[in-house]
Amino acid sequence: MEILLRIGFRIAGIVLTIFLIAVINFTLVNAAPGDPAAVMAGQSGAADETFLKQIRAEYGLDKPWPVQLGTYLLKVAQFDLGYSFRQRQEVSDLILERLGPTLVLTLSAFFLSLIGGVFFGALAGRRHGKWSDVAISMVALLLYATPVFWLGLMLVLVFSIQFEWLPAFGYVDIRASGFSAWNYALDVARHLILPAVTLSAIYMAVYTRLMRSSLIEVSQEDHVKTARAKGVAEGAILRRHMLRNAALPVVTMAGMQVGALIGGAVVVETVFSWPGLGRLTFDAVTQRDYPVLLGLFLVMSILVIAVNLLTDLIYRLVDPRIATQ
Amino acid sequence: MERRDFNKMLLACGALAAFGVSPAPRALAQHRDGGLTAILQPEPPILNLALNQQTPTGVVGGKIFESLLSYDFDLQPMPQLAESWEISEDGKTYTFRLVKNAKWHDGEPFTAADVVFSCANLLMEVHPRARANFDRCESIKARDDHTVVFTLKEPFAPFILAFEASSAPILPKHLYEGQDYRNSPYNNKPVGTGPFKFSEWVRGSHIHLTAFPDYYQEGKPHLTEIYYRIVPDAASRAVAMETGEAQLAQWMDIETFDVERLAALDHLTMTTKGYELFSPVLWIEINNRREPMNDKRFRQALMHLTDKKFVAERIMFGLAKPATGPIASTTRFFESDVKQYELSVEKATALLDEIGLKPDSDGKRITLRFAVAPYGEMWVRTAEYFRQAVAPAGIEVILDSYDIGGWASAISNWDFDLTTNMLYQYGDPALGVARTYISSNIRKGVMFSNTSGYSNPDIDRLFDEAAVETSDARRQELYSEAQRILVEDAPLLWLTEQRYPTIYDARIENLITTSTGVNGNFAAARYAE
Amino acid sequence: MKDVVKTFLGRPTGIAGLLLLAISCLMAVSAPILYPASPWEMSGIPFSAPGENGMLLGTDTLGRDIASGVMHGARVSLLIGIVSTLAALFVGVLLGCVAGYAGGTVDTVIVRFTEIFQTIPSFVLAILFVAILSPSLGTIIVAIALVSWPPLARLARAQVMSVTQREFVQAARCQGQSPLSVMFRHVLPNAISPIIVTGSLTVASAILIEAALSFMGLGDPNHMSWGYMIGAGRTVIRQAWWMSFFPGIAILVTVVAINLVGEALNDALNPRISRS
Repeated sequence: MEILLRIGFRIAGIVLTIFLIAVINFTLVNAAPGDPAAVMAGQSGAADETFLKQIRAEYGLDKPWPVQLGTYLLKVAQFDLGYSFRQRQEVSDLILERLGPTLVLTLSAFFLSLIGGVFFGALAGRRHGKWSDVAISMVALLLYATPVFWLGLMLVLVFSIQFEWLPAFGYVDIRASGFSAWNYALDVARHLILPAVTLSAIYMAVYTRLMRSSLIEVSQEDHVKTARAKGVAEGAILRRHMLRNAALPVVTMAGMQVGALIGGAVVVETVFSWPGLGRLTFDAVTQRDYPVLLGLFLVMSILVIAVNLLTDLIYRLVDPRIATQ
Repeated sequence: MERRDFNKMLLACGALAAFGVSPAPRALAQHRDGGLTAILQPEPPILNLALNQQTPTGVVGGKIFESLLSYDFDLQPMPQLAESWEISEDGKTYTFRLVKNAKWHDGEPFTAADVVFSCANLLMEVHPRARANFDRCESIKARDDHTVVFTLKEPFAPFILAFEASSAPILPKHLYEGQDYRNSPYNNKPVGTGPFKFSEWVRGSHIHLTAFPDYYQEGKPHLTEIYYRIVPDAASRAVAMETGEAQLAQWMDIETFDVERLAALDHLTMTTKGYELFSPVLWIEINNRREPMNDKRFRQALMHLTDKKFVAERIMFGLAKPATGPIASTTRFFESDVKQYELSVEKATALLDEIGLKPDSDGKRITLRFAVAPYGEMWVRTAEYFRQAVAPAGIEVILDSYDIGGWASAISNWDFDLTTNMLYQYGDPALGVARTYISSNIRKGVMFSNTSGYSNPDIDRLFDEAAVETSDARRQELYSEAQRILVEDAPLLWLTEQRYPTIYDARIENLITTSTGVNGNFAAARYAE
Repeated sequence: MKDVVKTFLGRPTGIAGLLLLAISCLMAVSAPILYPASPWEMSGIPFSAPGENGMLLGTDTLGRDIASGVMHGARVSLLIGIVSTLAALFVGVLLGCVAGYAGGTVDTVIVRFTEIFQTIPSFVLAILFVAILSPSLGTIIVAIALVSWPPLARLARAQVMSVTQREFVQAARCQGQSPLSVMFRHVLPNAISPIIVTGSLTVASAILIEAALSFMGLGDPNHMSWGYMIGAGRTVIRQAWWMSFFPGIAILVTVVAINLVGEALNDALNPRISRS
């Protein structure tokens, strides 16, 4: 019963959050200067008043904004994200088309940074004070301070232009429609390496530092000292007693960074021409595509909430104390 | 997590690292089989040329849809869906004889009814520029299945230029009649008469066209398919051309500074031909309503301060020619004998002194705001250049960034001091030039009208007379006179005539054959033997 | 206080950070003296490599001096970093104090509000905000402050809550001192040091956000900034690596410096939670 109640509260909280985000987004976007009808007309190369009126009527832009907001919220409740007059397509379709590449990129970066961070952090923490620790900490410090777009450019310079090892842009080769499933996946993976590494670098640095200090802290704890006193092998202590506890704050942190990760994806997708939600966001901002922007913000925020729930689950799996409760 | 899981994690990590450094095969996509991969940027919103005339729509749509005519490099009409045509003595009746064996991509025959439906109904409703042209018609009628007659209310010499694919695309009557044109399901899977038919569109990735086997010209097209690949990042586009992943880039796909390098590569070739019908002129737009810009002498002072050669060479990297006036040298009725403004800070300051704009203690005379158009680096650099260029005369310019919507709204509602703008000329001053200068086109809230607010009865009269005049010699006289007045009045600061590079695989021949170049239908394009 | 300085200076990384930061500040201060002309001035031959044509770090596509741009860019980066952090601190600490001190419903509402802000992908919100209100120093600062305050608010709240539990604060409250006076005389002074540390690190992230915005073409067009330079040089990277390389290094050095200083500050101010 208590569990049901807790789940109920959680869901209510999520709904409230989504509702407020929707209201904030809508208000913000509608404060924008510029007449969307004029944008449309401008694109057609020439325009007259009748044409502008036609557009306004067609898309309800002539109604007062509270009416537009009301309609919007009602639609959102029915998972109808509206229609993009710029792209002449349902917003939900546009977003769904781009969702895959973004999920591939952000999830790879998410796990890459988590795995890399835990691995290098553990390495540094175990060799606390040795040169490998110093080296890892130095690299982490530098990566943490590197602008993500600059890192992407430098990687392109080295791996695509200098050595021609990896493609500089894109999601998959143009001829991939003729590929077998396996080759297709391989090709996507090859295109994924640079963007995923770029996007994950800064978070990998964060998690490395966190894992390192966390591991050092755990190594001072009583049960570790006891195990050591009992003569348990150092490797076994690390695996049985230290890693899991030390990784907890890293997982928590990773969950909190998801919003930032999606923000980073906007820059990375722009640098690497990755056809995902991030690119769509920037295009929509520059083109003033209101319905797409509204839909994107909502979907991205829901993504963040979803991943937060997911990390909660992981947390429960990793932390025996919570799991047994 | 079990110990094994952690080991797996480490393994995966190592595998990924190893994968990361293993050299991948270099992409080679030369289409030996006669297909073409071209770059497209930005992604068009739709492929229906009647509903949207943006550049990328024209590039892709121009392969699917056709109009009655195409135009050679000197803007003379050539056959397309019309195999022959004649214009009556009084300049009011245009008769087109259509090709007889053309088919729509769905197999239906193409007839005069399609032309009448498109020009008299569909385009009149959805295509502003076509509406302006066909509004001049008293009637548009099919004489028989393969003859169409346009009867004008009064003569309009440039009417013959109105039948280019993106100016008057012909759409299938049997699919559009009685439908909501803007929301037709065929807008996203277009059906035309062109040499290539629509196959697939993966948004954010590519558009795929395939050769139309029933095309009315025997043996054409030669290319088997065209992939238009959407590549939003400029550097990536250059890489794609360099590696051979793409074989064609056009318009502004390749950043100006990359053009020379790519053109020099063995497997690529470059031409700036094929943009004559568009011939855009780039200018700095001056709000003629505001002090002190309403004074001709102030605008002339700006003329004396702006080095058009610098803009052409350093910002456009030579892919532009300094503009001398409102009409591009590649458009009909260009006049070169106009006032020249010498580059001179002294002359500029003398003019400013004459107006009474005195410098303050910092040497500053006035502060103006520059609305930076959001169309890319070139526009930003131009604004940055202008700010530095006028500074020596004591004119301070502050740049304001806009998004496309905000910019269009500010300009069309006359809420700006200075901005950059550029318009296509469509081959004839009456089609693409007059609109910027005549008083009757001062229309608040409308983009690409006479937004600078310049108004001169002499200019109005000259443009009006020239539009309905049928003698080319007389038209030249009128337009020469108009150009001399405009350059003296300097309502705008003309900077450059844009030249666009088309870079393509050197093995392809007959690619650029008309004045609409890459927007043409590519029916004749093929790989050399 | 003396101990703090001593601990700080006892850390080699702290000293290194201070030195690097001093370089950045010196660049900002000396830019108008060493390079009195506007960094937008097209004074050199375009595409000069570093050292060529008397240009220390080369020129960009229009012949503008990269060295001058890097120096002047320091001013914008530091200014935006510091001002937006101060604004974020103001909002964050204010909300955090109110929530932590008042508790109850007020606390719940503020925490909920903060969480919502943390849920929105913050960089995307910054892009949207700047694009809507058109890019200028002001809008960029407000946008960065807007996305930077939530962590500061949460930290401030946690600190205030823990300090408020302590006996001397309870005593002050019982004596009938006004909440404002309790807050300023007893709570804040004891809660502030972690906030200062986090604040200093916020400057670093603010500089990175500003650079990313400018890179995407959403910088103030009247002020030369590092992100702008990288964005403008990005497309010519294969012909002219220096145009985007040097500004990137400048960002890197400045952000590393601030992080090092922040960490050393952490060790000095919060010896309790400092690492061994």
